[in-house]
Amino acid sequence: METDELLINMGPVHPSTHGVLRFKLRMDGEIIKECTPVLGYLHRGTEKLGEMKTYLQFIPYTDRLDYVSAFPNNYVFVKAVEELAGIEVPLRAEYIRVITMELNRIVNHLVSIGSLLMDLGAATMIMWGFRERENALQLFEKLCGARMTFNYIKPGGVREDIPEGFIPQLNEFLKDMEKRIEDYEQLINSNEIFLMRMKNIGVISAQEAVNYGMTGPTLRGSGVDYDLRRYEPYSIYPDLDFKVCSRPEGDSYARYIVRIDEMKESLHILRQVVDTMPEGKIVSNPKYGIAPMTGTPSAVSTYFPRIFTPPAGEVYSRIEAPKGELGFYVVSDGTTKPYRVKIRSPSFCNLTAIPKMVVGLKIPDLIAAFGTIDVVLGDVDR
Amino acid sequence: MNPAEELKQKLPAAVVSTGMQLNKPMAVIKKEELLNAAKKVKEMGFDHLSVITGTDYNDHFEVVYNFFSYEKKQNLVLKVITDHDNPEVDSLTSLWKGADWLERETYDLVGIKFTGHPNLIRILLPDGWVGHPLRKDYDMNTEQFVTMGEGGEDVVSTDGGNLLRRK
Repeated sequence: METDELLINMGPVHPSTHGVLRFKLRMDGEIIKECTPVLGYLHRGTEKLGEMKTYLQFIPYTDRLDYVSAFPNNYVFVKAVEELAGIEVPLRAEYIRVITMELNRIVNHLVSIGSLLMDLGAATMIMWGFRERENALQLFEKLCGARMTFNYIKPGGVREDIPEGFIPQLNEFLKDMEKRIEDYEQLINSNEIFLMRMKNIGVISAQEAVNYGMTGPTLRGSGVDYDLRRYEPYSIYPDLDFKVCSRPEGDSYARYIVRIDEMKESLHILRQVVDTMPEGKIVSNPKYGIAPMTGTPSAVSTYFPRIFTPPAGEVYSRIEAPKGELGFYVVSDGTTKPYRVKIRSPSFCNLTAIPKMVVGLKIPDLIAAFGTIDVVLGDVDR
Repeated sequence: MNPAEELKQKLPAAVVSTGMQLNKPMAVIKKEELLNAAKKVKEMGFDHLSVITGTDYNDHFEVVYNFFSYEKKQNLVLKVITDHDNPEVDSLTSLWKGADWLERETYDLVGIKFTGHPNLIRILLPDGWVGHPLRKDYDMNTEQFVTMGEGGEDVVSTDGGNLLRRK
């Protein structure tokens, strides 16, 4: 019988592409022969905006890259600027930053796992995940007034100190979360349908994953035991005790398990941070810091330098964001605005490997594999 | 030993100078020798190509490659300087598949051509877009509008008269 290849267009408006991403699929019956992602539907020119805004003005734009986990975005841009200008950060500020980033990692993985299971047809997990996420968002709201786009981390420290009642609420969250993760594991880990959809789907070997530039849980799911928090440590991570979670299989299931394990490690990190949190200043030098919301207007104006000029130079600064290696390449020419801002986003680089992963699979498997890559389109298109 | 110095020892003809990119060892490479140098860098164990950045300095372009070695836990930066009229460097897609999209993005936004790239088309902007936005001489005052053509393709024009919001 004569057969013909079929071209299928998936997206850009499709519930399983987590935003506006389009796949061009060349199909042989039910089997994917070729998959070509088409990007750019959410391109907002963030890098160009970076050249047009001052350093402080650009920080809110970083929130809008990976809007599921915005604290690490804030942090890495600020880290790049701090490295350029040689600004020191007080210890208490670093502790607060790590609290926010690890909480954000939990939030990110909850959304990731929840939407993955929803794509597979299991609606329970997204409800459960969002229930716990809500508690974390309330903590963020208490801390800085915003739930998703924070603009909280500033050169030299953080914007405001931890409010009263934050730590007890955080402890409550940690205690609750521990039980919840057990619940998730009981619900999902040995579910037969889930296993059939995930095991041996979207396999990528360690060597290929490295060659494609994959990072984060997707790389660790292929057995490369690599985490920037451990091997190129920044902030206070050298003082903290945590495991780097990895799995050797390289399939969708491995990537899912790595995320679950990472949430447990984040809880472990948060407990240590809360226990050893020092007292002290939250900005190193008032010259670089931002005034607290309270205080007299004159105090605020001396505290708040809107103009800030790091010396000329270039820096590439990177951290382990929840989705992988997030880096900012910042060139300063000694003026008030960056000369060039380049964003190395983990979602963009991880997505490169999707065409390789899904050839020979069916469309529902593409959705499963794509879900475990954990992509946010704001981060891909920038 | 500093990997940039090591590269200079191995390929003295390719390396123009060595230095630091703030805290990372950096080697400035001759444009023609980039592919050779990249091969050597890969042999030296730098298996992770982290990012490719193109920057417009008005009279020349710089293309910066940030490498990392998972085994040695070392960083290495390669920098290539091209002229402004016809910026063109060799593609590294044959060595790192991850370079594919990074080079397409650099082509799209900065307008640097990568010789030997299998599919050098725009990635973030639509195909007919005029100019490369991250160039310093990009015209910020001309608006460009994207509509859908007969065959579903993107059509870019500077005339927004037929768009709904203009009526």
